Amino acid sequence: MDEFQEILQDFLVESFELVEKLDEDLVELENNPEDLELLNGIFRVAHTVKGASSFLNFDVLTHLTHHMEDVLNKARHGELIITPDVMDVVLESIDLMKALLETIRDTSTDAGIDVSACVVKLDKITGGNGEVDTPIAVAPVVEEISEPEVVEENEDEIDYDNMSPDDLEAEIEKLLQERQAEDKAKREAKIAAGEDVLAAPPEPDAEPAPKAEPEPTPPPTPKPAPAPVATAPAAKKEDPKAAAPTKRAPAAVEQTIRVDVKRLDHLMNLIGELVLAKNRLIKINDDVEERYEGEEFLEELNQVVSIVSLVTTDLQIAVMKTRMLPIGKVFNKFPRMIRDLSRELNKKIDLELGGEDTELDKSIVEEIGDPLVHIIRNSCDHGVEMPEERLAKGKNETGTIGLKAYNEGNQIVIQIDDDGKGLDVNMLKNKSLEKGIITEKEADNMSEKEAFGLIFKPGFSTAAAVTNVSGRGVGMDVVKTNIEKLNGIIDIDSELGVGTSMKLKIPLTLAIIQALLVGVQEEHYAIPLASVLETVRISKDEIYTVEGRSVMRLRDEVLSLVHIGDIFEVERILDVSEHAYVVVLGLGTSKLGLIVDTLVGQEEIVIKSLGDYLKGIEGVAGATIRGDGGVTLIVDVVALMSMARNVKSTALSNVGSESTVSMEKNKASDYKVMIVDDSKTDRTIMRKALEPMGITLVEASDGQEALNVLKSGEHNFDAMLVDIEMPRMDGYTLATEIKKYNKYKNLPLIAVTSRTGKSDRMRGVESGMVEYITKPYSADYLSSVVQRNVNFKAEFL
Amino acid sequence: MSDKLKQIINKQGDQQNSGHDQLDDIVQLVGFVIGEEEYAIPILAIQEIIKPFTWTRVPQVPSYVLGVFNLRGAVIPLIDLRAKFGLKTKNQSDETRFIVMRHGDDVAGFVIDRLTMAIRLKKTDIGPAPDTVNGDDTIIDGVGKQEDKIITILKVNKLLERDF
Repeated sequence: MDEFQEILQDFLVESFELVEKLDEDLVELENNPEDLELLNGIFRVAHTVKGASSFLNFDVLTHLTHHMEDVLNKARHGELIITPDVMDVVLESIDLMKALLETIRDTSTDAGIDVSACVVKLDKITGGNGEVDTPIAVAPVVEEISEPEVVEENEDEIDYDNMSPDDLEAEIEKLLQERQAEDKAKREAKIAAGEDVLAAPPEPDAEPAPKAEPEPTPPPTPKPAPAPVATAPAAKKEDPKAAAPTKRAPAAVEQTIRVDVKRLDHLMNLIGELVLAKNRLIKINDDVEERYEGEEFLEELNQVVSIVSLVTTDLQIAVMKTRMLPIGKVFNKFPRMIRDLSRELNKKIDLELGGEDTELDKSIVEEIGDPLVHIIRNSCDHGVEMPEERLAKGKNETGTIGLKAYNEGNQIVIQIDDDGKGLDVNMLKNKSLEKGIITEKEADNMSEKEAFGLIFKPGFSTAAAVTNVSGRGVGMDVVKTNIEKLNGIIDIDSELGVGTSMKLKIPLTLAIIQALLVGVQEEHYAIPLASVLETVRISKDEIYTVEGRSVMRLRDEVLSLVHIGDIFEVERILDVSEHAYVVVLGLGTSKLGLIVDTLVGQEEIVIKSLGDYLKGIEGVAGATIRGDGGVTLIVDVVALMSMARNVKSTALSNVGSESTVSMEKNKASDYKVMIVDDSKTDRTIMRKALEPMGITLVEASDGQEALNVLKSGEHNFDAMLVDIEMPRMDGYTLATEIKKYNKYKNLPLIAVTSRTGKSDRMRGVESGMVEYITKPYSADYLSSVVQRNVNFKAEFL
Repeated sequence: MSDKLKQIINKQGDQQNSGHDQLDDIVQLVGFVIGEEEYAIPILAIQEIIKPFTWTRVPQVPSYVLGVFNLRGAVIPLIDLRAKFGLKTKNQSDETRFIVMRHGDDVAGFVIDRLTMAIRLKKTDIGPAPDTVNGDDTIIDGVGKQEDKIITILKVNKLLERDF
């Protein structure tokens, strides 16, 4: 049973691969009915599937493919010309074949799909000469034949068990001959059956088909009503025809192995970890460099670090490449789709493919198919005009849709062009107004690009009538969501009457991206670099407020602004400086300026999910781990753009100093003073001097500790006594740090030091100290200075 | 020395055996304190217990979700049980720990005030959650009785469930 399953798996994988190519080849065949190589290729597919499925006892599939094979075989020998009508039947049978294969994949049997109608049609093409009501009798006859054939095979199989290799060889030989004879007989039987029913019309192709000389006998198939696609000018076909064989040739030579995708995913995860470790190593290297400047071992360390980082980057690229698939895999289905659509819509449309070899990450290839289908359907339906209309406009009767892919920097661009009627800006605006998607005011202020972007709004449809193909106003907004999910952007260009060009720009991979790291207050956020257009440094007075929104002038545009702190509810504890940075985000046609406090830099980050517990937080796309081991959140630019509309700006308005609570002092111990000094003795001396006042004293042994105590918010201090010379963080730095906080702006800092130089005093003042006491001092003096600074009420004395 | 070692090994063996005898009706728990109360969770639900370190705030979540932290390369949410139980937030002390709990694929870190000890309880000593807590929604799995006190046993799957 296991062996059977294994064979079945191989069969399915092989068949799906074959079928995928089939569609494209068939459409091409329709345009070049004489291409023998193409025909042979297609025939082989049908043949292979038939052979394998009969071996695996899939009767229905065998039955179907057998008849396909017949049709194709005739065509191969020039006895049948592939007309659009024939092609319709063949394509239908291929669809059935796909359905059967899928059923087999899901249920391991091929029951449940009725193929008889299609088989009858196929049979009509081969056996009959187009008579309308010949077939019905034929199908059962054939079925009877194929049933016993399968049973026979089963019997044969049992025999093989105890045979010597030689015997086996002989047996195979024998079986082959039997089989061929049988096939021959079957074919004759079928033709005979066909003839019986037909009651003898003059029949030039009645003689047995196999190995007939490929001399093209005049085919008796009926001339089809002139179908619109098939008669496409042959000149256009040169390109794809030339491309096809070259593509096929190397496939045979290339050595490949199949690898489970899970293994590749695992590899990709490991590389992700490695990239993080590399970032960390670089950071440590920088730190070490700073600390041990000029030491000899530094150079060696530097070399190792740069080799590791180089190799890691190469490794990352190499592994990424193993996950890459040519986009041709997605493009393959479009020739067929265009063909069906143009027949359905009665338009003449040519598809020009380009850059099928361009490679994309597997996960993206899987996601990109549906959006492309929507866009191309849209182009066929709304873009390309009816043939008469085109002629009237002086265009070629046949419309052209171009689909090509190419690399551009770190991105893949998929471009869809059509030479149809183009997008009418005024019509777009009117439609949107009608449907209430935009307001009159918005319509007036809209640029051309923004108006094009309207087609992606949910509920928008430009088709006058709802057709089978499109016009229900779903679709294009799904395209946009899907592309944005891939971190991609859509760019539209259109000229009225000339055509539309749509560019999908998609990052090469999803797992590792380039990001711009920005800082707000004490927090950092990562913005995908693909969405960043530019960064600008501005001062506060460049920000204007229009209708409660912040905006700024960027060259000759007005850019609406939002503060990242307002989006992510960042608590404002640090003082806002005069200057800020604006990160200009671009997504398709819309732009937004994001105000941040600092720009940290560009970094390669690995996207990690926040997990189930925290999923779906608006504005956060995930998290990444930084070089220092901390976690940084990744901004979801798409969500951020829509959030920005609802955020009211408090951006740079100073949140008053309401937090400097002047708590009611009821007794002496309500006053709190912190003593910061690294010397225990000095702290004790200060304590002795201040204790008589009855105030509460808290001690810290250096700047860092003092800052932590202050940040913890456990105490509300009325003043601090700060020594200057301290390990870890000295008094000046401590003062500067403290003054960064809004809350502590008015906290009196008193320097207590043995440094008496004038410059020291100056530095003290610069860093925000209000008093400067030099050691030694008298206890009374210290006490009086403190009393003065904390507004000590005399009644507590 | 070797005598002592033997003794210890014997003792451990005894313990193991005695444990083995009634393995089925013994529940192993880890006890911890939040505020004034002692709680416990099954020892098997604990991935690890670590000392506190820095975390990153996440916007738009209830105040008891402190944010996320980096646990050897994985990004894991951090939940303050004090805040979740409606107690006043307290600054972390030397005894504060993060307990990383796992249930299926769900993992999260929980901030607790201090650990007490590993507890072995007979199943018969565990009573149902008091009637006052309603229905399936409770995060209380049961109440364990010890000689001098009772311990509230929490449901790990409920703790790890997103409820906002």
